[in-house]
Amino acid sequence: MDRLLLGIDALAFLEEEGLPVLESSLAKHVDAAVSIASRMRFPVALKISSPNVVHKTEFGGIRLPLHSESEVREAFHELADTFLSSNPQANLEGVIVQKLGKGFELIVGTMKDEQFGPVLMVGSGGIFVEAINDTSFRLIPIEGTDAREMIEELRGCKVLKNQRTMTVDLATIESFLLQTSTLAESHPEIHEMDLNPVFVSADGIAVCDARIRMG
Amino acid sequence: MSERLEKLFCPDSVAVVGASNGFDKLGYHVMKSLIQGKYGGEIFPVNPKGEIVWGLHSYPSLRDIRGTIDLAVIVVPASLVPQVLHECGQKMVKGVVLITAGFREIEDQKGGVLETEIRNIADQYALPILGPNTFGFVNPTFEINASFTSELSLLEKGGVALVSQSGGIAHLCGFLATEQRIGFSKLIGLGNRCNVDFAEVLGYLVERDKATKVIALYLEGLDRPREMVEAAKSLRGTKPIIAYKAGKGEKSDSASRFHTGSLAGNYRIWRGAFRQAGILEVSSIEELLDTAKVLDSCPPPGGPRIAVLSSQAGPGMVASDAIEKSGLKLSHFTARTQDRINSLLPPIAMRTNPVDMGPAWYSPQDILDLFEAVLEDEGTDGIIFMAMYASANENLANEIAQYVKRVDFLGKPVVACLSAPREIWNDAITGIDKRKGFAVLPTPERSVVAMGNLWRVKLIVDNGG
Repeated sequence: MDRLLLGIDALAFLEEEGLPVLESSLAKHVDAAVSIASRMRFPVALKISSPNVVHKTEFGGIRLPLHSESEVREAFHELADTFLSSNPQANLEGVIVQKLGKGFELIVGTMKDEQFGPVLMVGSGGIFVEAINDTSFRLIPIEGTDAREMIEELRGCKVLKNQRTMTVDLATIESFLLQTSTLAESHPEIHEMDLNPVFVSADGIAVCDARIRMG
Repeated sequence: MSERLEKLFCPDSVAVVGASNGFDKLGYHVMKSLIQGKYGGEIFPVNPKGEIVWGLHSYPSLRDIRGTIDLAVIVVPASLVPQVLHECGQKMVKGVVLITAGFREIEDQKGGVLETEIRNIADQYALPILGPNTFGFVNPTFEINASFTSELSLLEKGGVALVSQSGGIAHLCGFLATEQRIGFSKLIGLGNRCNVDFAEVLGYLVERDKATKVIALYLEGLDRPREMVEAAKSLRGTKPIIAYKAGKGEKSDSASRFHTGSLAGNYRIWRGAFRQAGILEVSSIEELLDTAKVLDSCPPPGGPRIAVLSSQAGPGMVASDAIEKSGLKLSHFTARTQDRINSLLPPIAMRTNPVDMGPAWYSPQDILDLFEAVLEDEGTDGIIFMAMYASANENLANEIAQYVKRVDFLGKPVVACLSAPREIWNDAITGIDKRKGFAVLPTPERSVVAMGNLWRVKLIVDNGG
């Protein structure tokens, strides 16, 4: 049977496998959200966590950036209200409190192609990801040079290399792609995986959100 | 594995099953190809009527032939193929070219069933089959044309092995190549790839076929593309492999709720797989042939710095525009080189790169001196050399051909674009093309694109050596 890992569960799985993820924690009520947020240090983001919501942005299930306890409190109530008014029957697990991601957005994914088998993708992320389709693919497993070439094939790579806009160590992305390739290779039960967005900046790389289909 | 193809491509004897005297039978044309292609081994026509075929005694069946048969070319109707394959197996035939069509390529499901049946028979005897549904192959090095088109015997000998999934494209490439003086080591049609696929042929061409210097692939789609990719990857750094992929339609899995799935068109994955395998992908049939020719004829450039020398300014500008798009750079001449150029050209022309050799029009020797100055330039890795015919420079191509005869093999690649009216300069161009590191291509842009690919292949080979 297919199983879909979303949000906090997907992030926990990735973290367990050694991939860098943004610090995230599930808060079941507003006070928990506030205390988690202050412990993490501001700014943070709040995201709805429910098996009924796959596309959080489209649903309006994200609030960011939040800079204070009162903003967190307000955002928590808004999210809970929006969710319950449109899904009275649905199950709200809580709200994810997450360290605010920053930098360039990438999408990294794996899938199983009928002919090629497991395949790795990296692309420029953000809201135009489908429209721009700035992507590069390789067969899993990849090697170091493959990772480098994948990044260089992206048109968005020019932004990553621009010293004025940011200083990203491309080697950080390379090793992240190698890790993702290894993860998919060592877990043949993973059918499809979207790590989207993945934030990359001078501080490093981290998965912000993920969806994983296993079977 | 690939050694089993040795006697298929270089057979000492060939049986043609379905050989015929009737022009409307493919068995007639296969016989014509073998005989007019001056095949040096023994030919056994097999025909149930037992008549004289193409002047040769024919045999009612393979069983009736005494002596060994290396290759059987089969052109009988599809329904008779299983029986013939059993006979091949029993006769210890070493390889089969199965020209017959009507297998899994047809809509009728019976075709697919029949193909499975023949694959099983082939397995039983460990019999490699090129095809079914292939035009055959031509091996100019070994002087055998085992195809149904005798005119393909006119292919020049050379270092290019072209492996095609389509017979039509193989014909197109063969005829274009004849016009462009491209030399082949093999022209192979894989057809339905019953049990001989790209992976195995690549292994054969790289490891066993000394005549092959560069491998050009035309492919549409494969059932098991990973095998081909793995094979190419393991051969990376040996002989250059270039490919043209048709069927680029971006059919992605739009039903996928995942971004990765919906972004992944089959061709996008192919592109990545080619790069991963160290195969240089090209974007047209022309580029496939141009690149193959340059790889076969020119030494690899030591870097991307290219000089453009043109007898007329316009072609030089067009080439210069194409340089950067192709991943190359216009070279900067050293002071010494620039002095030599300046001494040969008055300051009325462009003397830095691109060099307008126009003022030297009437003096082939000055043009050759300019060429040599740039060839020896330390800041230059390769040359695009262009001369368009004009009545006043009629003698130029001959002088260049004489020069080519005199010099040693060049250490740098020179792609030359020499254009002239039909019949004029033909002999001279033949004396220049593919010699000593020169390759001649029809236009400035195509010359530059091919030079760019020569550089990219160098990078691929160096990375994977």
